[in-house]
Amino acid sequence: MSIRPILSALLRNKTGAILVAVQIALTLAVVVNSIYIIVQRIEKIGRPTGIDEANIFMVNTQNYTRDFPYEATIREDLAYLNGLPGVVAATTINAIPLSGGGSSTAYFNAPGGKGEGVPGNYFEVTERGIDALGIHLSSGRGFSAAVIRPPMQRTSEFVPEIIVTRDVAKQLFPDTEPLGKTVYSQLSQPARIVGIIDHMHGSWTGWDKVGNVVLHPVTDCCKRISYLVRTKPGDRDRLMPIVEAKLIKTSGRVVNSVRTLGFYKDRSYSDDRNMAIFLSVVIVLLIAIASLGIFGLATFNVQSRTKQIGTRRAIGARRRDIVQYFLVENWLITTSGIVGGCVLALAVGYWLSMHFELPRLDLYYLVGGVFGLWLVGQLATLLPARRASRVPPAVATRTV
Amino acid sequence: MLSYNLHLACASYRRNPTLTGLVAGAIAIGIAVCTITLTLYHALSNNPIWWKNDQLYAVTIDSWDPERPDNDKHPERPPPQLTYKDALALLKSDIPVHKVAMFKSTRVLDAGKADAKVKRMDTRVTTGDFFRAFDVPFLYGGPWNAAADQSPEPVVVISKEVNEKTFGGINSVGRTVRLDDRDFRIVGVLDTWRPAPTYYDLNNGSLENPEDIYIPFAWGEALELESAGNTNCWKSEQINSFKDFTNSECVWIQFWAEFSSKADHNRFQSWLDGYAKDQKKLGRFPRPLNNHLYNVDEWLAFNEVVTKDNRVLVGLAFMFLAVCVVNTVGLLLAKFLSAASLSGLRRALGASRRDIFQQHLVEVIVLGLAGGLLGLILSALGLWGLRLMFASDFDQYASLTHMDPTMMSAAILLSLLAGIAAGLYPAWRIGRIQPATYLKTQ
Amino acid sequence: MLDMQGIAKIFRTDLIETHALRNFDLKVEAGEFVAVTGPSGSGKTTFLNIAGLLETFEHGTYRLDDQDVSRIGDDQRSRLRNEKIGFIFQSFNLIPDLNIYDNVDVPLRYRRLSASDRHTRITSALDIVGLASRMKHIPAQLSGGQQQRVAIARALAGDPKFLLADEPTGNLDSLMARQVMDLLEEINRMGTTIIMVTHDPDLARRAHRNVQIIDGQVTDYKPYEGPYEPSAIIGVTGERASG
Repeated sequence: MSIRPILSALLRNKTGAILVAVQIALTLAVVVNSIYIIVQRIEKIGRPTGIDEANIFMVNTQNYTRDFPYEATIREDLAYLNGLPGVVAATTINAIPLSGGGSSTAYFNAPGGKGEGVPGNYFEVTERGIDALGIHLSSGRGFSAAVIRPPMQRTSEFVPEIIVTRDVAKQLFPDTEPLGKTVYSQLSQPARIVGIIDHMHGSWTGWDKVGNVVLHPVTDCCKRISYLVRTKPGDRDRLMPIVEAKLIKTSGRVVNSVRTLGFYKDRSYSDDRNMAIFLSVVIVLLIAIASLGIFGLATFNVQSRTKQIGTRRAIGARRRDIVQYFLVENWLITTSGIVGGCVLALAVGYWLSMHFELPRLDLYYLVGGVFGLWLVGQLATLLPARRASRVPPAVATRTV
Repeated sequence: MLSYNLHLACASYRRNPTLTGLVAGAIAIGIAVCTITLTLYHALSNNPIWWKNDQLYAVTIDSWDPERPDNDKHPERPPPQLTYKDALALLKSDIPVHKVAMFKSTRVLDAGKADAKVKRMDTRVTTGDFFRAFDVPFLYGGPWNAAADQSPEPVVVISKEVNEKTFGGINSVGRTVRLDDRDFRIVGVLDTWRPAPTYYDLNNGSLENPEDIYIPFAWGEALELESAGNTNCWKSEQINSFKDFTNSECVWIQFWAEFSSKADHNRFQSWLDGYAKDQKKLGRFPRPLNNHLYNVDEWLAFNEVVTKDNRVLVGLAFMFLAVCVVNTVGLLLAKFLSAASLSGLRRALGASRRDIFQQHLVEVIVLGLAGGLLGLILSALGLWGLRLMFASDFDQYASLTHMDPTMMSAAILLSLLAGIAAGLYPAWRIGRIQPATYLKTQ
Repeated sequence: MLDMQGIAKIFRTDLIETHALRNFDLKVEAGEFVAVTGPSGSGKTTFLNIAGLLETFEHGTYRLDDQDVSRIGDDQRSRLRNEKIGFIFQSFNLIPDLNIYDNVDVPLRYRRLSASDRHTRITSALDIVGLASRMKHIPAQLSGGQQQRVAIARALAGDPKFLLADEPTGNLDSLMARQVMDLLEEINRMGTTIIMVTHDPDLARRAHRNVQIIDGQVTDYKPYEGPYEPSAIIGVTGERASG
């Protein structure tokens, strides 16, 4: 079946074809860009955090009496948590990883605080911190119990040693081995790098330097005290109420919440997840609508061309020739829409990248979208085309 | 004529119910997707205190690092919060009618009842003008007076929810509650107040619930309270005590001013610049003079409450609606042309082109409105679905997914426009049919 | 050429059975010009549809060009219609969206002939009907008579064994009708068998032989006697265009 006569017939009935082509063009532009956004979001949500998320829960407490014995309480709590069967390790921590809340400061590779410094999202943890977070040290060692600063009110004092992620290490010392090097605070106080973490995400999942994490050997203090507890696989949900019931007994403080780390992660990524879900729904609806448009046009064409189809059958067209005719016709319409759609998709992609700081549309997605829409068009035409092929050739001899 | 055309429209719907359903369905889905995204957009871009847009201003001073701006992407913007010492200085100006210096903290509430659980409460530490400037409604009592802010008096305003949970909803003014280890006397109970977005403090997100407990600003220093919002510091300073902290260049106080006139607003702007210049002489504020007063609309834009995602969604939703409209044009064309012989007959019997055009336009408009109503139902379902999707733990989204009368009328208007846009061409085309063409047998 | 024996065609609905053709016999030899007449409802159209392989039938046998076509599949029927039969319809049945050239081209496309072969056939067929100069026009730009002549060209282009004409002048005025009949006679003289279904006795008289159908049966069947001598044989196929 050749294209030219189909094309010339098409050009005499432009309206319907143009309407479908416009739909295809808009659909391609929206679908390709939406899928691109969805994939980015899914990739973002699925990034490895370096933390044993699945087996960690947080206990957030707040004390409220004057002279609350926080030092003794922290010691007792940590002893209890670390001794609890099923617990791998527990630590106090100044902020909840992946939660959207945390602290950062700048680190320098030379004293004097000159230049930009490397921003680091720091977590204050005890000697059990590495085990509690379930992160992997690629070189060096963890903190010894002796170096952990006891609970202390507000202070500008820096720490003697720190553990940094490979990201931070590379930014501070691009050319040399960072382990054992000295870094400086804004006030030029020195600290030595004693360990390198392979990879770990900090508090702010939307930050482009989310992997810039530093651990300080400090016991979190004093009003609001949070514990990060890592359990053996499967023990987390069982231990949460047990821990809450125990800690709640201490007078002079309340347990604000006991929540899994997954809760905070989900909340941090909720906008990304909702965007992905919403766009997916839009895509499904859009493809459904576009298919409906294609189906509608093909059905209308079959109805209004019954006589013509009968005549073609009478003068020798086989059923499959008729099916092919409509499929080729749809392919032509879809393709013309796709040509416009590619331009539109690139324009929308450009607009998104300019105004919303999204990465420029990846062309693979466009290619995928083109093949996808070709398929959708053919599938939506198949049913009316098969109906057309069942028009009896005897229709040709009917006078009305 | 209109009633006759409506009658004809009904006959047409009955003649071809599937196609009619598809047309209404396509419009409905387009409207629903647009309405849902617009509802989210509308909720976030909403100015909850629009009537004070010319009076109420967020006050900012650029106290930041000489080396780099507070916001790398928008270097022209000063930091959104003030240092403690600047907040105290600004409170001394008598130009604004109301001055609000505040921050969010947390306190543990003990109502003194044996059966009530001791519980952590979000607490706003603020000057009493908070309630006057933001038009916060009171159920009982009222704000504390200015004296209570000076040397802090143990007075507290509680939310309606706390009053209900703690006192069963009675007028609790005059009763005391224990916050941490100190008794506070209740001077006011708020009525329901849920501004969305929470424009007055956007540190912790734009859809938070307002705080449950409000205590005078001076308690912040007296009790050495820390902010539960953001605290940002740029300067290398020794901070070894709360006194060091309040003297530091760290910003953590939100400051608002309300003016009775534009002249006062201008006067305060010059006063502010004068204050900044004086401070420069003392070696502070190393950056160029950059003090701004933002009204609520500008403040919402400054804090990018409407996210980029929201804008992308609205853009895509309108492209989606365009697809639906184009689709409907096709469906209507097919529907009208399949009954073209009837129109040919009408023309032969004396109907003018205009009559045929009007007849079909009425048909389309009714269909568009039906699609709009269906779309509203779908949007309500969709928004309900969104509410389910957002975990119940963050119920602030409830206000996001609430469709107000403005949105409903916008949706209906949109469906009307979509219907007309979709129907204009098919109705015109059918009006141009030559009567003879469709009267012959073939 | 065409040999039908004992053919029966029954249309069934839930309530009634209609015997459109019963025990129908007809034989047509190569080169004949046969007119099939009968009142409306007699089964003329059913005969036409069966003869043209447009419809199947229940009983009897149908041999077309020495091949039994009684029980063959749909694709094979399409091929036979395409190669052996030329149709001329009362309402022309030109495809309105295609120009004259492309209309004549339609059956040739389904036969998958080469482009040059098709071109030769189309132009020679349009030459025969005298419309070679109009090949870029679309049907709506032609008169009824011209449209029917295009339809005849379309039927001839495939070089069929016989032409099946269904009231070929039914939609034409008398002058145009006469021109079309003249053309059919001319084609018949050139050697193409023609079977024409009509209700018009005047038209029927111009054929060599009349067959009348009443109540689904041939009532006035004169078996063919002696060979028919064509005056000349002029082919219209590409290969033999010079004739």
